[in-house]
Amino acid sequence: MKKEPQVESGRAIGGSKVWRVVQPILAVIVTVIMLFPIYWMIVTSFKSAEEAQLLIPTLFPKSFHPENYLYVLGRANFLKYYWNTIVMTAGILFLQVGTGVLAAYGFAKGTFKGRSAMFYVVLGALMIPLQVTFIPLYMLCAKWNLTDTFLGLILPEAVSAYYIFMMRNTFMSIDNSYIDAGKIDGLGRLGTIWYVLMPMSKATLFTVTLVTFTNGWNSYFWPKIIAKNEVRRVLTVGLAQLKNTFAGQAVSNYHQIMAGAVLTILPVIILFLIFQKYMMTGYSKSAMK
Amino acid sequence: MAGKPMLKPKTKSAVGDFLFVVPALALLLCFTYYPICKLVEISFTDWNLLSDDFTYVGFKNWKWLFAGTGAKYLWNSLKVTFLYSLGELAVTIVGGMLFALLFNRMSRSFGMMRAFVFMPKYVAMSSAAVIFLWMLNTEYGVVNYLLKLIHLTPVDWLNQKSTALLSVLMLTGWRVIGYGMMIYISAMAGISKDYYEAASLDGASSSQQFFRITLPLLSPTTLFLLVTTFLSSMKVFQSVDILTEGGPSRATEVFVYLIYRYAMVDFRMDRAATAAVMFFVILLVITIATMRVSNNNITYDS
Amino acid sequence: MKRLLAILLAASMMFAMTACGGTEAPSSPASGPDAGEPAVDEAAKYAVTEPITITWWHALETQYDGLVAEIVDEFNKSQDLITVEAQYIGSYSEINEALVAAHAAGSGLPAVVVANTDYVASYGANGVYEDLTPYIAATKYDVDDFAVGLLESAKYGDKQVSLPFLHSTQIIYYNKDMAQKAGITVPTVITDFDAFLQDAAKASGGVGTIIPGWDQWYFETLYLNEGVKIITDDNTCDLNSDTAKGVTAKLQQWCKDGVATWAFGKDASANMRQSFYDGKTFSVLHTSSLYNNYVDNCDFEVGMAWYPAGTTGAKDSEVGGCVLGIPAKVDQKTKNAAWVFLQYLCGKDVNMKWAEGTGYTPTRNSVLQTDEGKDFLAKKPEFKAVFDNLDLIKPRIQNAAWAQLATTWKNYMNEMMAEQADINTKSDDMVVEINEILEDSK
Repeated sequence: MKKEPQVESGRAIGGSKVWRVVQPILAVIVTVIMLFPIYWMIVTSFKSAEEAQLLIPTLFPKSFHPENYLYVLGRANFLKYYWNTIVMTAGILFLQVGTGVLAAYGFAKGTFKGRSAMFYVVLGALMIPLQVTFIPLYMLCAKWNLTDTFLGLILPEAVSAYYIFMMRNTFMSIDNSYIDAGKIDGLGRLGTIWYVLMPMSKATLFTVTLVTFTNGWNSYFWPKIIAKNEVRRVLTVGLAQLKNTFAGQAVSNYHQIMAGAVLTILPVIILFLIFQKYMMTGYSKSAMK
Repeated sequence: MAGKPMLKPKTKSAVGDFLFVVPALALLLCFTYYPICKLVEISFTDWNLLSDDFTYVGFKNWKWLFAGTGAKYLWNSLKVTFLYSLGELAVTIVGGMLFALLFNRMSRSFGMMRAFVFMPKYVAMSSAAVIFLWMLNTEYGVVNYLLKLIHLTPVDWLNQKSTALLSVLMLTGWRVIGYGMMIYISAMAGISKDYYEAASLDGASSSQQFFRITLPLLSPTTLFLLVTTFLSSMKVFQSVDILTEGGPSRATEVFVYLIYRYAMVDFRMDRAATAAVMFFVILLVITIATMRVSNNNITYDS
Repeated sequence: MKRLLAILLAASMMFAMTACGGTEAPSSPASGPDAGEPAVDEAAKYAVTEPITITWWHALETQYDGLVAEIVDEFNKSQDLITVEAQYIGSYSEINEALVAAHAAGSGLPAVVVANTDYVASYGANGVYEDLTPYIAATKYDVDDFAVGLLESAKYGDKQVSLPFLHSTQIIYYNKDMAQKAGITVPTVITDFDAFLQDAAKASGGVGTIIPGWDQWYFETLYLNEGVKIITDDNTCDLNSDTAKGVTAKLQQWCKDGVATWAFGKDASANMRQSFYDGKTFSVLHTSSLYNNYVDNCDFEVGMAWYPAGTTGAKDSEVGGCVLGIPAKVDQKTKNAAWVFLQYLCGKDVNMKWAEGTGYTPTRNSVLQTDEGKDFLAKKPEFKAVFDNLDLIKPRIQNAAWAQLATTWKNYMNEMMAEQADINTKSDDMVVEINEILEDSK
């Protein structure tokens, strides 16, 4: 398979003729394999319970069962989880973008004592993930009665050091003369951010915000700990429990679980298909910095 | 670096600027730095989630973790985490590189295929994990069905020690390989084609070109992937939680899962906190070490 | 101890529905607990006087939605003060996590919550569950109608911290058609099991039985019936005694010979049942509460057999399922309302509905003399295996560290069964660890 790993490297010259033919074929095969899990999820989600459990699986549903989706949305309460996820994600997005843009401005364009020391405080936070701090955080939220609440879901994720870092770098690359020009036009600091800096860093802002959105939507660890009750359960956690519930002692219900899986990823995948370019470069951009 | 023109009285302006970073800093202090300090404190108590009060017990938890029965599980989870990290690194770097070579052709159809290969990165881990749970199901999983088709014996993927971690890695691999690919492809695009032209004039074969030009020029990218992937792979939790719950017989009990289990299953917050402090120290050491090694290749200043 | 079935038939206590009355204590029989209390004042303390909405956390999966809704609705309609909202939280272990978390936070607690019989001791010891003893005394609630073993398993020490709710016991399900064809009967003593499993494996073409390794409840009985205490009187573990090792070795041998399978992992329960439906195993060890499930899914006749007696002659089993309790940290008003609802849920009529709609056994002695009770046996004849042995169902081992102990035990068992690890060293390692857990929790 690894025969002749030629540097096609985009514009590399040459590359044997064999490779020119083999490459697309191999690429298609690999793509199909990579897409298979998604295909399998969708196909299973439309099967009946019996068909999902055939010893010789069918590649395509013999009969369609959209009621799997109705079941998951209704009785398995995914509508509620959708709402919880949307509110949580919106809250995280709003706070991370808000605090992030403001702080990025302060660190990139501000002049105050201890600025770089404070910036290291932000960077240091990159090294302290929730997986380390969740125990005291849980205590804190419990003390403030924030368990099973939106605030409890959102607050610990309100600031993203990564977001501040990315936006600060982008703001720094914008020349001060633009800011000065804005000041002459009577813009205050907020006005400068809103009318000068943000429009000029639209692309980065958009990509980083998209990443923030998907991270929020897909988050699992903290919601699992802080929102044990159904009233504030989010999609990712609900999906994992959908599995537990039925395979625990009832029937194995992968047809319904797969419907839940589709529902969970749908918004993000739609976003991805629309904003593919941004979302694929989003990561490489941060990588190349 | 510093802002030059100062139009207003200095101090007033400085206070105004400072106010902009206050919300972020305040939240970070409250939700990141304060918990870290608290964590250390808890590690010296006997706090159990079930009971309302606790007492300070000195180094009891630390002794238990390093010299008591806890040690066995601590080393086990370190080993598992490390193996997992190695696996994720291999997939991201070697697999990502191979995929980059395979998919690096500039055409619409290849662009589409790249998007599809990259897409799993955005599939929520929950969904991805239940999909793999289903595909790897011993009785009705499609993977075992395919194995049977080519006359191989079905594998009890998630329930035996020898294949459980591998199964978790298959899931991880599926999600990250496209990411490695994209990083490499965008790095390759930055390599000037003059190098290749000169090399082929010298009669270098394409494999020679790959090993002499492409690989060395990609080494900063590789280093970047190495560092970031290693750090993020240490934090693996969700895939393990959904696929195996750390089993069978702790064969997939990664570090975060160990902490989680002490805290939320055994309710031993004291032990969990001790392990978490330990985990923090490990992350810190790795970060500092990699920053040294990378030698400003990946500094925070751009 | 007299056979409980006999007691069932002999007892004639009428259990009045206390649910609607709230403050009105049912006419209590002569043997009411704590006679001599100033009942009126006491009862007033636990009275519900104003409208209140309370939540009930349960583990009844969506297949029981209809039943849960019916029973809760009926309660809500039967009086005007209390409105109950039922919430499905998840499996027993998920409920445990949620409850302990809410207990620690002191907020978000339900008014009534179920708990697997495993957790009663831990909740009692740590004050998670309210002690119901004064409630029982004040409202003259008749607890003597509950089967003794069940009531006992809802206690911590001498405190009644919970009441029996949905109960089950370990049972062997077997394929009756297959048994008839091959002329096999499930033996009643463990010593006959070697031969039986060989024959059964041959008959099914797969294995003789499947042993659930995901919950120690299914196999701990095998140890107890050999005289292993698991936790001895001086608070140490004896799972590395020669007797205990003997049981482990036997189990290991069966797995090694391929006549039995050790089931564990996430899909273990579903896979095990499916193997049974498909006739790939002659029998499975499981809980009696899944009887309906097995009957509905099998196209052959399903038999139920009691676990085999140990070499000591003991053929006890252990109670499973869940109890109902009230979290200690909710306010008194909620507790009072919870107590009313709890009495309703555990009451005789409702109990019969649970027993019919689910696979759980009736918890009350008086239930079985009613027409419904007789009807029940007629509908589920195989349950005779359970009823004949009701007095053999023993309470769980009561220890605050039981959950941790069980986790450790299960992990080691997996290694010894699935990986065929050495029994001597593993058992000793395990006991060292368990002893530490026991020591720690004192």
